[in-house]
Amino acid sequence: MNKFPCEQRLFQMIGFLRHQRLISDKRNIWTRSAVTTPVIATAVVAVLVVASVGAYVVFSSGRGGSASPTSSLSGTLNVAGSTLVFPLMNSWTFAYHQVYPGVTVNYNSIGSGGGIAQLTARTVDIGASDAPLSASQYASLPATVVTVPESISAVVPAYNLPGIKNGLNFTGDVLARIFLGNITNWDDPSLVALNPGVTLPNHAITVVHRSDGSGTMFAFTNYLSDSNAQWRTRVGYSITPNWPTGIGCKGNEGVAGCIENTQYSIGPLEIAYAIENPSLISYGAVRNAAGHFILANESNIAAAAAAGASAGLPSGDAPWTGVSIINNIYNDTSAPTAYPITTFTYLIAYEKQSSQTQGRLVVSFLWWVVNDGQQAGVSLGYVPLPSNVVALDDNTIKSITYNGVPICTQSLCPSS
Amino acid sequence: MKAFSKARLTKTEVRTWNASANADSLMKVLVAVAAFTVIAILTAIAFELYLNSLPSISKFGISFIWGTTWDVSTEMFGALPFIFGTFVTSLLALLIGLPISLGVAIFLSEKVKSRRMVTRSIGTLVELLAAVPSVIYGLWGLFFLSPLLRRYVETPLHDYLGFVPLFAGTPFGLDFFTAGVLLAIMIIPTVSAISRDVLNAVPNSQREAMYSLGATHWEVIWKAVLPYARSGIFGATILGLARAVGETMAVTMVIGNEPKITASLFSGGYTLAAVIANQFTEATGQLYISSLIEIGLVLFFMALAINTFARLLIWKMKRGMNIRV
Repeated sequence: MNKFPCEQRLFQMIGFLRHQRLISDKRNIWTRSAVTTPVIATAVVAVLVVASVGAYVVFSSGRGGSASPTSSLSGTLNVAGSTLVFPLMNSWTFAYHQVYPGVTVNYNSIGSGGGIAQLTARTVDIGASDAPLSASQYASLPATVVTVPESISAVVPAYNLPGIKNGLNFTGDVLARIFLGNITNWDDPSLVALNPGVTLPNHAITVVHRSDGSGTMFAFTNYLSDSNAQWRTRVGYSITPNWPTGIGCKGNEGVAGCIENTQYSIGPLEIAYAIENPSLISYGAVRNAAGHFILANESNIAAAAAAGASAGLPSGDAPWTGVSIINNIYNDTSAPTAYPITTFTYLIAYEKQSSQTQGRLVVSFLWWVVNDGQQAGVSLGYVPLPSNVVALDDNTIKSITYNGVPICTQSLCPSS
Repeated sequence: MKAFSKARLTKTEVRTWNASANADSLMKVLVAVAAFTVIAILTAIAFELYLNSLPSISKFGISFIWGTTWDVSTEMFGALPFIFGTFVTSLLALLIGLPISLGVAIFLSEKVKSRRMVTRSIGTLVELLAAVPSVIYGLWGLFFLSPLLRRYVETPLHDYLGFVPLFAGTPFGLDFFTAGVLLAIMIIPTVSAISRDVLNAVPNSQREAMYSLGATHWEVIWKAVLPYARSGIFGATILGLARAVGETMAVTMVIGNEPKITASLFSGGYTLAAVIANQFTEATGQLYISSLIEIGLVLFFMALAINTFARLLIWKMKRGMNIRV
């Protein structure tokens, strides 16, 4: 029984056409191969010889380097998680490998949630998360973990307004009302009042935000929740908030692209992406607790992190759920220069390591990242951790143990 | 040929004969395994999706399909805006893409068939269009197509026809309309290449019969060639539709990603595939993840339903028309 004769005919026809082509191709291959086979064979042999000699040279020189004390470390360290820190992590794994040539660090940027899930399943040694672990994430972990804040990230309100450059003033409340859809026009009285002397256009605001889950949005909505009661009850904060209004664009680069392409738009953007294209994207200053309008830069972001840490951070092995620089400095008038929308990203590892070899790699990498690695990040435009956070991290890393004995030794954790 | 005179075969020939008989049965087993692998994979996918979406299924039940809220912080999940978005963008893609694809196919197979240079170069270019990765389409859509459509299509349509609900709202460029146009461009290679092959396969006797009755070139195409090739073209359309429904990356980049159900084409939307691509990497919490997987299950069955519907339609059409193509 042929249920679909016409379709079969169709595929027969197409098949026939392909078949014809195939046969002629085949003929070509056969006629050509008589001449080219020896050439190809010679080439393959040559490549193999060169490759094996090369590999021998490379590996034997690697072994030769084992005279230096640091390269007593060897093995593979697996880290997975946040996409936000991927560029930084990428340069860290490379720089770390220069110092410890025997160690290979793999970073899988599969997203914070995925990273923690992998850590929970013990398939990776370290997880990277944009937000501190939630209560349910802690509940599903099989053992105590330590939280190591390892980089700082700041979110700016970026906009594309013809004729208006950096430095438009915002408050948390006004931003919340824009992103709630309550303020819909650029010449809204509350925006005009914040920006005397600036002629704001009579034009509708186009709201842009991330469409994918992101630590950037977690920080931004955290700030909006602190600033505005309606935002707090209606939206709250999350890495994937339920945005009341606006267009979602994928990734920081997607949000940057959407803002660039759309006049009169505004969207929260990681600062590194906001300063990339100053002719098309500008970003605003945000009022801090002391009442100053702060245009984010390296020093006021570092000041915010320092103030946030001195206001109190939990110890490394305590639960960090709900910890936020933004909350810590929201009412802190003692840091007049702090930029208010500043946040940590975190590395998470087990406090009691189950293998000495892997444990030594974990400790060595964490130590290097929060100390020497900070300088490696500066050339990429990242803000180094302030000294009080480094001190906290150092204590946390020293608390990591194998068989009840701290792993940190002078050679693994050299004091800088 | 030698099969006819087995008695006179030499020993070697008999061995070859037996070997080829063995090879035949071996081949039969191999292809059967291949065929059943497909079924097994399909079942495994459906089962795995179902298993992992159980928490969400037991929490929301069937109301997941028509729930309109997607809120991670309160863990309320409903798929209707995404189903709506997938449906609207795919439909739009077909509305725009099908006529163009048919035009390409008719041009290549009926109008310039004898000019090999033209058919070859256009045909190759159309096939090249299919080879462009979808993320490239997405980037192009975001940085080129979207501003262009906003400025020269959406804004005029909105200014003159804004009272029609379809064209109401604010033309932003990242919306159902742009996604539909981009998808149309993406399905053109599939639909036009297959339609061209189908049209080429229409026997010349059909055309000659029509010409002998005094028909013009267009009448021949319209009344003889196209009806004859109808179900083949329909099959091509369904393949295009399947691509549009499942397309992820390019759509995600231009649709605006707002879970909204609205009559306006100039409003941001969201599709089933896009929400998975956007949210799965950073999703935490069992209910959230299983809801995203249930979205995948819905998408899976939607694709299955489209294919089944298409087959039924072809079957019915053929019986109704009583033509054998």
